[in-house]
Parts: sequence; C-alpha cells; structure tokens
Amino acid sequence: MTAVTGETPLQAPIQGNGLLGQPLDSREDPQLLRGEATYVGDIDLPGTAHMAILGSPVAHAKILSIDAKAAEQLPGVLKVATAADFTDVMPLPCIWIPGGVESHFPPHPYGLPGSRPVLSGDTVRHVGDAIAVVVAETPRQAAAALAAISVEYEPLPVVTRADEALAEGAPQLHEAVPGNLNAYWTCGDKDRTDAAIAEAEVTVELDLVNQRTINSPIEPRGAVGDYNAATGEYTLYASTQGPHNHRFLLSALVLGIPFNKLRVVAPTVGGSFGTKGYLYPDMALVLLLSKALGRPVKWVDTRTGLMNSTVQGRDHRQHVTLAGTRDGRITAVRCTSYANLGAYPSTIGPGVATALMGRSISGMYDIDAAFCEVYVAFTNTVPLGAQRGSGRAEAAFLMERLVDRYASEIGMDPAAVRRRNLVPKEKFPYDNGLGWTYDSGDYQLNFDRAIELSGYADMPARKTEARTRGKRLGVGIASYVAICGVGPSTRMSKEGMLGGTWESANIRVHPTGEVTVTVGSASTGQSHGTVFAQVAADELGIDPATVQVYEGDTLKAPYGQGTYGSRSYSMAAPAIALTARKLKAKLVKAGAVFLGVPEDKVVYADGKVFEAGNEENTKTFAELAMAMWYGWGLPPEIEPALDETTHFDPPDFNYPFGTHVAVVEIDELTGETEVVAYTAVDDAGNIGNPKIVLGQIEGSILHGLGQALMEHAEYDPDGQLVSRDLGHYALPRAIDAPFFTLDKTTTPTPHNPLGAKGAGEIATVPPAAAVVNAVVDALSDLGVQHIDMPVTPEKVWRRLRGEAQ
Amino acid sequence: MDLSLNVNGRPEQFSAQPNELLVERLRDGLGLTGTKVGCDTGQCGTCVVRLDGRSVKSCLILTAAAAGSAVTTIEGVTTPGGELTGLQEALREEHGTQCGFCTPGMVMALGELVDNTTDREPPTEPEIREWLTGNLCRCTGYHSVVRGVQRACSAARAQAPVEQGTAQPATAAASGQEG
Repeated sequence: MTAVTGETPLQAPIQGNGLLGQPLDSREDPQLLRGEATYVGDIDLPGTAHMAILGSPVAHAKILSIDAKAAEQLPGVLKVATAADFTDVMPLPCIWIPGGVESHFPPHPYGLPGSRPVLSGDTVRHVGDAIAVVVAETPRQAAAALAAISVEYEPLPVVTRADEALAEGAPQLHEAVPGNLNAYWTCGDKDRTDAAIAEAEVTVELDLVNQRTINSPIEPRGAVGDYNAATGEYTLYASTQGPHNHRFLLSALVLGIPFNKLRVVAPTVGGSFGTKGYLYPDMALVLLLSKALGRPVKWVDTRTGLMNSTVQGRDHRQHVTLAGTRDGRITAVRCTSYANLGAYPSTIGPGVATALMGRSISGMYDIDAAFCEVYVAFTNTVPLGAQRGSGRAEAAFLMERLVDRYASEIGMDPAAVRRRNLVPKEKFPYDNGLGWTYDSGDYQLNFDRAIELSGYADMPARKTEARTRGKRLGVGIASYVAICGVGPSTRMSKEGMLGGTWESANIRVHPTGEVTVTVGSASTGQSHGTVFAQVAADELGIDPATVQVYEGDTLKAPYGQGTYGSRSYSMAAPAIALTARKLKAKLVKAGAVFLGVPEDKVVYADGKVFEAGNEENTKTFAELAMAMWYGWGLPPEIEPALDETTHFDPPDFNYPFGTHVAVVEIDELTGETEVVAYTAVDDAGNIGNPKIVLGQIEGSILHGLGQALMEHAEYDPDGQLVSRDLGHYALPRAIDAPFFTLDKTTTPTPHNPLGAKGAGEIATVPPAAAVVNAVVDALSDLGVQHIDMPVTPEKVWRRLRGEAQ
Repeated sequence: MDLSLNVNGRPEQFSAQPNELLVERLRDGLGLTGTKVGCDTGQCGTCVVRLDGRSVKSCLILTAAAAGSAVTTIEGVTTPGGELTGLQEALREEHGTQCGFCTPGMVMALGELVDNTTDREPPTEPEIREWLTGNLCRCTGYHSVVRGVQRACSAARAQAPVEQGTAQPATAAASGQEG
C-alpha cells in the first residue's frame, strides 16, 4: 500500500496494485473473433449512396478535358463531380515542414504548405491521382460509371527517382517548386564530421537504396460522410488513427466549416502502421457530396486503389560514410540522402523523410562527429508517408550496414566493433549530436543478452555444418535506438510540426463506482480498451472489469493527437495515470470529510480511503463514488463528482532500443534466402501488458523481414506502379516466418510517470539491417560487400555466379 | 436470375446478377459483414467462408456457382456475443488477433484444419503455416495464430473420444518468449 505523496507527478513512483505488467487477455478479441467488430466498410446508414474515385491512369499529364455526360446517364448514377465542383474547397494541408530550413511547397490559402486539392483539375502527377468521383445507388454502379468518364490527357515527362528529379532538365512537378526540391535539410556538425573523415585511419562508404514499400494494412481505407441539414453538422466515419487531428485539419483548413460542427469517428480500424493518420481527398469528398445529395455517402477503397493512393514508405537513396580507427573505434558517420516525397507533400511526409531518419543515424553508438543531409524531392509517385518504424528503420539500416562494412575492412568481429562503441550507461542522458537526447539505457546489457541468446559464439561451427547441406549460413546483427513518445509540443514545433502533440485523458467516475476512461488516442489493433483500462484500474486500485475505455470519437473523447510512432502507451497511458492521481488527491481531501479525520491522516490505497492507523474507518471506491455524486456535506473548496482531465505534454521524447540477430541460410543452387533463426532483445521501458506487446513485436519483426526479402513498390519508367496489387506486391505469409527467440531488458524512461517507452513498432526498425548483414556475411567470401533490398533469390543467384550488383 | 443458398442453416432465396460475387451477396445482400474484403484478387483470405464444409474465398466465386450449396460464414460459427468455439477460444488465449480484419477469414480457414484433427495426429507447425498461406495478416506475424491453432488442435484431440489423453500441452511448441 502506498499513500499519495506530494512528489511531482513525473518523479512519483508507480503506485499501482500490480496490474501493470500483467498479460491480461485482450477484451477486444472475442468481438473480433466472432466477426462482430464494425469496420468502416460495415457501416450501413439508412439511405447511403456509394462513391467511387477516378484515379489518373498516367503518372504525369495535363488534363485537357473531362466529359462526364455518358457517365451521368448510367443507371443508378446520382452525381459525377470534378475539380470544377469544388472550387471553394481548400487544398489538403501539410503540417510537418522540415524544421529550420527553407522549404518549398505548393501553396495553401492559410499560408501553410499545401498538399493537393481534393480533386486534381488541370494536372495529374501520379498514377492514381484523384480527378473525378461518381456517386451512385450501389458500389457496382459507381465503379461502372468511372469507365464512362472520358478524360483527354496531354502527357508530360515522368520522373520517379528523387536523385533524378533534382537533376538539371528533369520534369517539373509544381510551378511553385522549381527544380522539384522540397527541402534541403541537415542535422549534426558538417565541418567536424568532414574533418574527422578526412583525418581518419579508416573510412568505408556504401551506396544504399532503401526501397519504397507499401504498408498494406489488410483493411483498405474507407470513409462515410453524413451531413445533417437540420443541424448543419457533419459526421465523418473513417479508417483513421487520428480522428481529432483529422477533425481539425478538415474543418478549419479544408472545408472551412466550424470545428464544432464536424464529428470524426474512427470505428474499428483494420491496421494502419502509419498510413491512416494522413488526410486524404476522400475524407473531404464524402462530406461534401453528402451535403450536396442530402444522403450519407460511403466510399471503400480497393486494394489497387490503396496501392495507388495511400501513402507509401521508406524510399531513400543514400551515400554513407563511416570513419574509424584501425582498432575499431568509430569516429564519424555521414549520410547524404535523396528522399522521394512523391507527387505531393502528404500530411506529415516531409518530417518523416528528414528528422525521423536523420537525427537517428548514429544509433546506439557514442560517436564524436555525425552529420546528415537530406534532399527531399518531388517525383511522379504516390506521396510518401510514415510506415511502421518510419525514419528510424532507414537510419538503422544505413548505420548497421556501415558498421558491418567497417568491421570487415579492419578485420574485426562485427559484434566486437559494436560492443566497443555502444553509448556507455553512465553517459545518459546522452546527446547524440544530431538533435536527439537519449533518455536512459543500458545498451551493453541489452546487446550482450542478444548476442548470448542468439548463440553467436557457435556460428562458425554452424556455417561449416550448413555447407555440408549446400547452404551458406550467415549471421547479421543490428542494434537501434528509436525515438518514440511524440511528443513534447514545443520541441516538435522546432521540428516544424504545426499542431500540439500532447495527449489527453479524461476519467469520469460514475455514481455506481464504474469508471469511464476517454482518450484522444485511437486504436488500430493495439487493444487500447484492455490496456488503458489496466492503467486506470492499476492506479485507482480497482477491478479493471469496472473500467470502460472510449476513444476514436471526437464527440466522446477529449482532444488528442491519436496513435502513431508507438506513442499511445507512453503518451495516452501516462495521461490516464496522472488523471487517476488527480482523482485520488481529491478523494483524500474528501475522505477527510467523510472519515471525520484531518487530511494528513487519510490514506488512499487499494481502491479505498481509510484513516491511517485505523483501517476500520474506511470508505470503498464505490462508496466514495456515490458520496461524491450526492455531494452532501462537502466544503465549498471541494466540488462534487469525480471527473478529471489531464493534458500530458512530456518534457522530452523517449528512446526504446534493442539488438536483433538474424541467422540466414542461402541455398547455393537457387539463391533463396531463408531466415532460420531470429533473436530479438528489445527495451521499451516498463511494459503495461506483455501479451499485447509480444504480438506487436512479433508482427513488427516480420514486417521488417518483409522489407529485407520481398517487399518493393516498383515503378516502371512511365511511373506505372508495377506492384499494384497483392499478386504483384509480396507480403510475408505464415511460411515466411520462423519462430522468434525474444527477450527484453527494462530501462524505464524518466519522461513519463509509467516509465514507459514506445513499443508497438520498434521491432520493425532493425530486421532489414540484420537480414542484409547476414546475407552479406554468407556471401562475403565471394567479395560481396552489399546487396540491395529486397534480397530476392534472383539477386543472390546472380551474385553466387559472380555477377555484379 | 433466381437463386437459393443455405446460409448458416437458413434457406435464402433471391435474385442476383450473373456476375455477382458470393462475397457481395453475403455482405451487401444478406448483411453478413463478418466476411471481409481486403484485396479483390483472392490473395488476402479475409473473405474465406465454408462452402459445403470446405473453406473457399468468397471473392473468387460467383453467387450463381454456389447456388444450392450450404454456406457458413463467421456469423454461423457463434451466436452474437455467445460462447466462442474451441478455435476462437484458443486464439483468444494466445491473442492471435490484433486489428482483427483478417480474423474472421482465418477462423473460417483454420476451422477446417482444426475440425479434421480429431481423428489424426495434430498438425505440425509447418503444416499449420502451410494451411495459413492463403490468409494474410500484417499485425501479428502469424506466431500467435500458429500457437492458437496448436492449442486448439490439442484441445480438440483431447476431447475426441478415441484419442483421449494423447494430446500434448499446447505450450510445448511455442518457443517465443514475451518481448
């Protein structure tokens, strides 16, 4: 039992009843297993009409004319609309401009960067660029009518690579952005880094392609717009991970309607991994068309539609350099990156391409000089956005590839080189020289655990044995630090984020003693209803079954940023815990009245208040709830009822970390790479529900293996997305995953009262580097120093036969 | 054309276009939205239902081609809010779901595997993974699903009259530790 103390919230220890850290079953699961959860595609409002979107079939062209007359005559068609119908609608905004540098964007009337109009009127800039919509009685009628819209295009030259888009004479995408350069962004100390590299005993360099990938949540996006003419209120149901943020952006910056007349509801969302936090034209279109037609309007994307319009990830071309001593001390790292922003700046795309990647490049290592520069360029491809592990995965890939290259160059074991350069425990908080200050960590402990658990010492013998079976065995290590807990609002403003990034929670205690928690976060499959109830019940010392969690509906929940960057448990959960503490503090004051003793004699513990030294004089949580609802006998300084809110803006980010070890076997005959063992030791600080986190870590690792081995959003020279459906874009299937050997270390962060660091996506950060390191290790005797992702059997087969990359 | 289907034990008669897909009949025509659409090309497996006992992708079959058959959807597996089947319960215990969008299709596909294990040795881990290749999941990495199936098969076998007592503990095959 612990009493409420006078310590400041962030210093106060966890005061819970032991629920946190327990692998409680997900309360969401039974509904999902019975197929009873409502996703946006399952919403069927009375009178709903169905919308389909005409995407451009060409990557870059002027639109000379659009003729919709034939489409309008087709059965069931209610309306065909083009850009001309929405001239008073503002373009979608971009709200993350790379901080501290000159950025170039298409304009938005409010002086913000603009993304794209809700429909493109005179120019299309990528295949799938939305140019017209049809609303019809049925989805089939709407889709059929798209084919009857006649569009005349004047083709323009196409560019799909960031470096080529910046070259002289390249096709130009936006009048407002001559040369296609959205931003040139840097971090770190260029002079110091250049000097360290010039003076170094050893330097190694690599040219890397971090290929474009598609997040591919299994549920495509969808939206339902419902305008109420009687009240003038709009409701948007959408597959979104940030309903509050979408409400703000759509109402104020796109539709120009009052903030308080738009309600955004995220129903059950079928996965996101970053992509459903962006503002897309369809969200505005269903609302506008619902108002125009006086009926709810529903749109559900197809898979090919998703591939051609939902933000894509990664996509950097990099030249990277590492300097060090002959005996394995890394002295500098430098990265020049060309980031492919796609045809338009997505809602936060430019920030993903810069800060999230660049400030992370030195990883777990204590390096004296580091510098990163990013050229962010427009091309005729789908806009770039976040993807599970975004930015941090790209950074870990370059650094961990460099460390292996360096180890090979100086003839040292890659594990030994890493061990030697880890940020030592006593150096925290550690300023990495690139803009991040790591909060806490014991990297040596984590690293040693991963190496030991992987059986690293046995690898030479395993390599020999594998050869007898016609297999080449390789082992690859990758360590990482991942910035999470976005974030401290003022700090994010310096990164160029336009908007508060704090998170909020409200707890309302009902007269019956049951509790409702509402948060601004919005689950996309992370069992928030389970975990957030666990947090509130732990802090209040009550049964979690009496706690109900609501989120994802702007009408019910307080404002908050939503779910992204593994922030929910280290942002929303602390807000819940701090709110519970406010309630407890109030109950201590009120308890003095109810128990008839001075306040300093009142103890709150285990879901009740009692008199210190006389536990007979007590009131349970349920009794207190009822008494506070009646409010009888309370002095004027104590308001009746129990209803508190906290807006949590942390002092800084948090920095989970970890080390992964991949063991691969390459078939000498076919070039096929199989991951035969995978060890991951991650540190996400204090974990609330290990059963939930286990699932997220397993899924994250397979996502990373997917990038290493098979995933590639491939564009042809005309800008056509070759991998436009799941027959052409490979996602890992069950046979592609070995069981993983998992463990954890626990280093709490001082930046929130739960000591929690981000967890959900962090294990996506290192697998690509670990696997490619393992493949290169397996092929090293052939002189292979690097191989580009995805590591397909064909690529390896060619290298086995001595062909160059 | 006028067609009939037996859906979850109920006879259904309706008129359908010749090009209508079974998944459209189920979701849009009959309001059975537990069956999902994830890819339109038969790749993802979110639309799997049982057709005369065999699991099929309902986005790859015309309603007309299924006419006269018995269809079981996820709604036919349990009653609303009702008790979970052994497979569903095992998946719940192993948290073999996250966003849940692929889950109904997995339950329908894996149900056939679990149903057929009462009179044979439980499927091996590679067999389960092979069985799962028609269903995509982006959240879980499949591990918890595989563990759930192992748990369900062991339980099903333990309950089968002939094989009683030969089931092995489900945890024996799960080598993943908590992360």
